[in-house]
Amino acid sequence: MIAFVLRRLAVAIPTLLLLIVFSFALMHLAPGGPFTAERALPPQVLANLEAKYGLNDPLWKQIWNYLYGIVVHFDFGPSFVYPDRTVNQLIAAGFPVTLTYGALSFVAAVVVGVSLGAVAAIRQNSWVDYLAVGISIGAQVLPNFVMAPLLVLVLTLWYGLLPGGGWSFSDPSFWIMPVIALATSYMASIARITRSAMLEVLGSNHIRTARAKGMPEHRVILRHALKPALLPVISYLGPVFVSMITGSVVIDIYFSTGGIGKAFVDSALNRDYAVMMGVTILVGSLTILFNLIVDVLYAWIDPKIRY
Amino acid sequence: MVIDQHKMQSLSDRMVEHEVKGRSPWADARKRFLRNKAAMLGLTILVLVAIFAAIGGQFAQWSNEELDFAVMGQVAQAGQPSIASGHYFGTDNLGRDLYARVVQGTQVSLMVGVVGAAIAVIVGTLYGATAGYVGGRTDQLMMRTVDILMSIPYMFVLILLLVMFGRSMSMLFLGIGLISWLDMSRIVRGQTLSLKNREFIEAARATGVPGWKIIIRHIVPNLLGVVAVYATLLVPLMILTESFISFLGLGVQEPLTSWGALISEGAGTMNYGTLWQLAFPLFFFVVTLFGFFFVGDGLRDALDPKDR
Amino acid sequence: MTKLFTTTALLAALSLPAYAVEVAEGDTLAENQTYTYWLLDAIKSLDPAKNTDVEGSDVLRSLFEGLMNEDAAGNMIPGVAESHEISEDQLTYTFTLRDANWSNGDPVTAGDFVYAWQRVVNPETASEYAWYIELMNIENATQIIAGDATPDQLGVRAIDDKTLEVKLTTPTPYFLNTLSHATTYPVPQAVVEEHGDAWTQPANLVGNGAFTLASHNLGVDIVLNKNPEYWDADNVVMETVRGVTVNDNNVALTRYQAGELDRVQIPAGQFPRLKEEFPEQAVSVPYGCSYAYVMNVSDKGPEALKDVRVRQALALGLNREVIVDQVLQGGQEPSYSWTHWAINGFAAPEGGMKDMPMPERQEKAKELLAEAGYGPDNPLKLSLQYNTDDSHRLLAIAAQQFWRPLGIEIELNNVEWKVHTDRLQSQDFELARYAWCADYNEASTFLDWFRTDGYNSGKWSNEEYDQLLAEARTAEDTTPLYQRAEEILAEEAPAVFVYHYAKVDMINPAIKGLPRENLLNTWYAKDLYRAAE
Repeated sequence: MIAFVLRRLAVAIPTLLLLIVFSFALMHLAPGGPFTAERALPPQVLANLEAKYGLNDPLWKQIWNYLYGIVVHFDFGPSFVYPDRTVNQLIAAGFPVTLTYGALSFVAAVVVGVSLGAVAAIRQNSWVDYLAVGISIGAQVLPNFVMAPLLVLVLTLWYGLLPGGGWSFSDPSFWIMPVIALATSYMASIARITRSAMLEVLGSNHIRTARAKGMPEHRVILRHALKPALLPVISYLGPVFVSMITGSVVIDIYFSTGGIGKAFVDSALNRDYAVMMGVTILVGSLTILFNLIVDVLYAWIDPKIRY
Repeated sequence: MVIDQHKMQSLSDRMVEHEVKGRSPWADARKRFLRNKAAMLGLTILVLVAIFAAIGGQFAQWSNEELDFAVMGQVAQAGQPSIASGHYFGTDNLGRDLYARVVQGTQVSLMVGVVGAAIAVIVGTLYGATAGYVGGRTDQLMMRTVDILMSIPYMFVLILLLVMFGRSMSMLFLGIGLISWLDMSRIVRGQTLSLKNREFIEAARATGVPGWKIIIRHIVPNLLGVVAVYATLLVPLMILTESFISFLGLGVQEPLTSWGALISEGAGTMNYGTLWQLAFPLFFFVVTLFGFFFVGDGLRDALDPKDR
Repeated sequence: MTKLFTTTALLAALSLPAYAVEVAEGDTLAENQTYTYWLLDAIKSLDPAKNTDVEGSDVLRSLFEGLMNEDAAGNMIPGVAESHEISEDQLTYTFTLRDANWSNGDPVTAGDFVYAWQRVVNPETASEYAWYIELMNIENATQIIAGDATPDQLGVRAIDDKTLEVKLTTPTPYFLNTLSHATTYPVPQAVVEEHGDAWTQPANLVGNGAFTLASHNLGVDIVLNKNPEYWDADNVVMETVRGVTVNDNNVALTRYQAGELDRVQIPAGQFPRLKEEFPEQAVSVPYGCSYAYVMNVSDKGPEALKDVRVRQALALGLNREVIVDQVLQGGQEPSYSWTHWAINGFAAPEGGMKDMPMPERQEKAKELLAEAGYGPDNPLKLSLQYNTDDSHRLLAIAAQQFWRPLGIEIELNNVEWKVHTDRLQSQDFELARYAWCADYNEASTFLDWFRTDGYNSGKWSNEEYDQLLAEARTAEDTTPLYQRAEEILAEEAPAVFVYHYAKVDMINPAIKGLPRENLLNTWYAKDLYRAAE
């Protein structure tokens, strides 16, 4: 197991390197630069800017300097578009926000989704089941860029229950709409997966045996059925994590949360090279880490898996 | 909204098992599929949507780009859905016929979905089959590469690609297709590994058939079940991805449109008394995604029944 | 230009008292003096030397104060400079500064201005707005930016703590008008040197404006509080000003209606409905920007556009009235001149296509195209490039439909902003949407764009035109010159002028003091107050 984890971590380094070089090249090939502005800058001013940010060095040297800065000083460089801030500062400001509503959404999606799916399976063909299936089918495909403005309209304008956007770490009323908008479709998917896995497990021999032995129903479910039924859910968590990061773009746009999702899209559109690289590296590392956690979790629950 | 890999693995195991037992899984599967009500409903929806996309344009009174000057500027009052004005689904904000636009958006979205899924499935199958068949260090290398690629945040790369090469249909197909072949390649590789030591492959090899031919002639056809299910479930994912790209404003060029673009426009104006601009495209979007899910799930359940 | 000059000179002689909040009769002040307004995006920089956008300038006007301010109508009034003198040759300006303090209690001195201006032109600062000091024609600015002179050679000098002397290379009638711009604001040397790039963060920032920076969360909000150290603090009523970022205009409107914002832009097409529903709140005022489809007549451009008949046909065929009345619907004006109609002292030339009814224009356009060899049988194929934005998209689609009956097939080409700009500047386009916003309230701010060495992305060039604008710099009466220049633009059609902007907003009626006659929408938070309901 430890060997497996170490091997995976060793793969992470070339992966990140590849990602960095690829994004860097792509970014610099794109037309326009960070200082392409409506009023074309006088060549001398442009030259001064490029000199200041080292953009007139050959590409390989720029990449080298960039990597050197990260490895030696953990410095991701200055932002071109937000000249008052460094990339480290921008990420330090935006990432905790994304992490907060992302983690909450993740937990909400898993807890609610698994409960809903499990209850639906246990009470198969009851009204609970139909309700759960109905909700999850509808929620699964509603794009969050429809959901988000709808939430603001209903909860802020019509009922005045929640602030329509913004962010505060101390006031949970700002968290609710982002979490609902981000979590709902994953919750629905998780509920569906749990339900069908649970049904399968409940119909299997060892559950029948457990029941035949006269074990109380709740123990049968909690001790014998839930754990194997979670396996498909766990293998689904890696992709959920990645696509939640994508979904955070929509959250940041509609709820003014100031997270890194919007920062990434903006940096790509603004050619803010350093910010874009910084966010890509962050998200790439998190993806690697998270996939690893999911695999470890999987191996822990399912002893048949060997690495 | 991601494919349940667990079930795909189970399906793949089942298909190999059938193959090993020398029994076709398809005969029973068809019966089971036809008995599955949800799948049949899904199939009906898909057929209807496909018909709508193919010949719906014949019934449009307006083209998808014509401006109705009588409606322009007072869309909320004059642009409502109406048989009399010829705007069956109403008009968009500019006074263009929404019916014609939904027909055309349906074509684009379905095409992006199907072509994207096809690219993903073809690349994934060939890659996985090659890795599994060749084996050894090549296999190691190819699968490590997949591991590496798995950790790349694809939506970011896709945004970069569209920003860099400009928006175009082909870029969308390629970008969206390239996102999802990785899982496919893993499953196919596993299946190929179990297939490759079977007698008919050995026999082919012994008669000197080249490797690539064996892969295409003998291995790939045996993967058909997995491929079919995978492809069906990938299409809605591709459509969803495209809608997100359209939301970011990186989708197809005007006057072409897609469900994602129409929904995103409609969602913007939902509080301005023009709800039909959201309702019609969203309806088609939702029912089609359901259709694909039902059919995909039904196909999988039919090929891999849990009642064994 | 001279007219402009005389008004400011008069002003200097009279040395008018500073403009302050005047609470209108019948208004009582609300308990809670806050103003919350909408920002489309995050504010990029709060460093006066590095700020490049309008939203940033709006905040900087509250955090800092330059030599001059503007009143509600856009006229220059004294800021930090109490009075000024201009030398005979109009090359030396001497400003006397009032007693004012930084928010940390230090006095604002002439040296602070010298430091700030030298900092803008210093290549090490790499300011994107360094050109602004060049525009002011301050001695040696160009050389310093190019690295041929050191920043301390800039033609600006502190004679003593309260006297600032500026030397210009050439008489510049608009010089005083440049002094309310954020780029010219003083910065506190000690603070900048202590904190480096981080000096603009809330904990560090020291300003001399009516407000101080309380917090700034990128992409969320920026909060300013009243500055008790401000020299005119007694006349500042507003306690807190908050800019809230909402990236989606429609959601921003929803939040305005929920009472979370006091001001928000109205999305395209929604003004008539809101005006009817909320007549007190929906406001449309002229705004100094001009929208056009620029044609590429350079060597890289298509052959067809080099033919003036084709350009004329394009200009004739576009139905601006429909665009303004039925697409934008926000009180914008159809445009037949490049200069915004509301620009000070500008009168558009009479006659021309403005007076032709639409069918006649279309006939004329068809004739011209036929002469040039195009028509429905041999359609002219062009591409129209626009950057990603909902209203640009709507307009481009409408334009495509207007030109189609003439036999012009337009291919729409939507690209994102950086690509759009890059292609405009490298003449890699055929037709491209463009908008220019006035830097100052005088026609040359628009007309200079089409000079041979102006920004002029389409590379159109006309000797007489250049000549006219050169003359206008020193002319007594500029009106005939500018009119002639506009006539040339109308004849030559280097661009299809589409419409003149209006600022279309929902404004909470309790908020008083927002300027409605200022074409550049320059507003100062210190002039605002909130009336009790």
